[in-house]
Amino acid sequence: MSDDPGRLRRGLDRAADRMLTASVYERIGIAIGSTTLAILIGLVIVAAVGHDPLQFARDMVVGAFGSERAFSRTLQYTTLFILAGVAVAVAFRAGVFNIGAQGQLIIGGISCVLAIIWVAPFLPTGAFGGVVLIVLGLVVAAVTGGLYGALPGALKAYYGANEIITTIMLNFIAIGLVGWAVDGPLRPDDARSVRTAYLPDNVGFPQLVFENPNFSIVGLLLALAVVVVISVVMTRTSFGYDMVTSGHQEPAATFSGVASKRMIVTTMTVSGMVAGLVGAVFAIMVQGYFIDPSGIGNYGFDAIAVSLLAANNPLGVVPAALLFGALDSSSSYVQINSGVPVQLIDGIVGLVVLFVAAPELFRMIAKRTGLGGDDR
Amino acid sequence: MSVADYTSSRGVRISGLVVLVLAALVGVSVVFFGVSLDDIWVTLRRIFTVGFINRTLVGAAPIALAAIGGLYAEKSGVFNIGLEGFMIFGAITAAATMYGMGGTSPSQPHIWLAIAIAVAFTLVLTVLYAVLLIRYKADQIVAGLAIWFMGLGFAPFAASLLWDTVRSPGLASINHYSIPYLVEIPYVGSIVFSQSPLVVLTLIMVIAAWVFLYRTRYGYWIQAAGDNPKALDTAGIDVNRVRYATVIFSGAMAGLGGAVLLAHAGDFIGTGDTMVDGRGWIAIVAYLFGNYNPIGAALAALLFAGLDMLQIQFQTADITIMGRAISARLMGLAPYVGVIVVLTLWGKTRMPSSVGEPYEKEE
Repeated sequence: MSDDPGRLRRGLDRAADRMLTASVYERIGIAIGSTTLAILIGLVIVAAVGHDPLQFARDMVVGAFGSERAFSRTLQYTTLFILAGVAVAVAFRAGVFNIGAQGQLIIGGISCVLAIIWVAPFLPTGAFGGVVLIVLGLVVAAVTGGLYGALPGALKAYYGANEIITTIMLNFIAIGLVGWAVDGPLRPDDARSVRTAYLPDNVGFPQLVFENPNFSIVGLLLALAVVVVISVVMTRTSFGYDMVTSGHQEPAATFSGVASKRMIVTTMTVSGMVAGLVGAVFAIMVQGYFIDPSGIGNYGFDAIAVSLLAANNPLGVVPAALLFGALDSSSSYVQINSGVPVQLIDGIVGLVVLFVAAPELFRMIAKRTGLGGDDR
Repeated sequence: MSVADYTSSRGVRISGLVVLVLAALVGVSVVFFGVSLDDIWVTLRRIFTVGFINRTLVGAAPIALAAIGGLYAEKSGVFNIGLEGFMIFGAITAAATMYGMGGTSPSQPHIWLAIAIAVAFTLVLTVLYAVLLIRYKADQIVAGLAIWFMGLGFAPFAASLLWDTVRSPGLASINHYSIPYLVEIPYVGSIVFSQSPLVVLTLIMVIAAWVFLYRTRYGYWIQAAGDNPKALDTAGIDVNRVRYATVIFSGAMAGLGGAVLLAHAGDFIGTGDTMVDGRGWIAIVAYLFGNYNPIGAALAALLFAGLDMLQIQFQTADITIMGRAISARLMGLAPYVGVIVVLTLWGKTRMPSSVGEPYEKEE
């Protein structure tokens, strides 16, 4: 959809540049401002539909951090949001919009499960075999997720197809395709619900700290390791430098010998690989099998919000993911306790994204109220 | 190459490709699978029935309406990527209003009123959105995505409050009008003289949008706001005012699209990607494919709706491939695959040159 790299693109670049040049404090201010404003609107809605907003706020905190179970559940979501957020941030940093993390996650997750189930019979059943299978699953998920991300990257680089729309279409395709497969050819005869066969017993992260079958600190450490690796690659290597400059100063990057088209494909591949890992961690740590992907939660979409809140900085993704992990973790508790439908949380996430998109709004508020003013 | 040349060669390229694909399909089936031409003719007649054409028209209407809105906004220089979200808001508002007025058995006037209220509500929402985009220079892509996320969250939220589940109970769908005697004309009768009034409304909107854009002075202002805002400003027209008008129009049209979708379906579905299910995104592709021309966009909407309806057709006509029934879920992916193919082959559309850039008047 572009006859030159695109006027649209230039507009976006300017927006992205603004994000990059804004000071760290300003970005943190915008993130906190957006979240606060969104939650306030959420509380007004809660009051408007006849519930007690204070009770709701208390339930949110208790539901996320109130008990060991709640806290480990928060960390479980946080782990997935960290990985998914990093996946999206990598692409955004390089000026490519990867809205397809959800699809890449689904493709990564299902292929991880399939690879493990197919290879398991050839390996010993003990801990060693388990570790080999987990590593295999992670690698396969990264590869397939990367390929699924490379496809829209290549279509964009060589055919000018808008990656925003192709990645969204590929999400729908992944959901439909995998949904069909787990309900048909991949569904064991004895399965009462729509799912694949179970992963072998020796495949799973060990429980070291929390007694939560759906969370292991190993998963969280793995996610943090990915954050460190990606952040080092982006800020300390020439490859990362090329990636960011080709996204935001394409002429400069081309001048210094970076093939911008290939860079787009590479960026989307890396982004898709990390998104594929989300699917693998989800399958191995949380579920132990794979279900109809229309029911696995919108990690890939919410990751866009996580990444934007973190100003697309891989390190900033960690606190942003914790916030979203807490929001998701508290939602079911809130529905049971206050009777407020969980979907409200998704709406609030949308509001957060909306406000993050309009930093001018907060600059103007800051100017009007005299908070910060020009030096921010 | 003039614009006229461009559009006509585009049309030739597209029809050429369609003919080639069809010829290849026929050739492959005759040569490799021993299908006789007679069988193909019979099968085609089983697929392209009056029912199929009617379902396609009904399916295309919401996409075409949203596409017209989106193309107006983009023509004036603002990328409204929130179409999908506004469609979701339109659909839930229409459902909620219908339920509020008539419970589980709303009457036909209730449906029309619900559509009007849905349009009014999305219009108000879009005013706020337009202020964020134009006054506060929000990133158009990110803000549009936010509208989608809000739709995915708040619509099922509202449904849960009203009905305790994210789905509405069966409400009512719009009645087709039927003109006596003329209905009995074969084919034409049951398509033209017995049709959903909303399909006719869509057709009127498409033509009106074309006339307004290409034959009125305001239409030229819209085009100038996207292509040469500076010149428009110099001519004494407020660029941002034109953009406010088109963005608000685009949201209202997407809301209308959502309401029309609901009025045909008869109930709101809030599971997964909601009942809108990507139609807003397909609308964006439809106007890109239609080269920002309302009529082209409507034809593209017809194409996507036709792809979508094929799955029902394959099932009702009991068509199998090598003795196996075709999975509805796989067939349902056809429009999404179609969009990717279309974008890949015709990705290079001529965008208005200042799309995505906030316009700042020079002092």
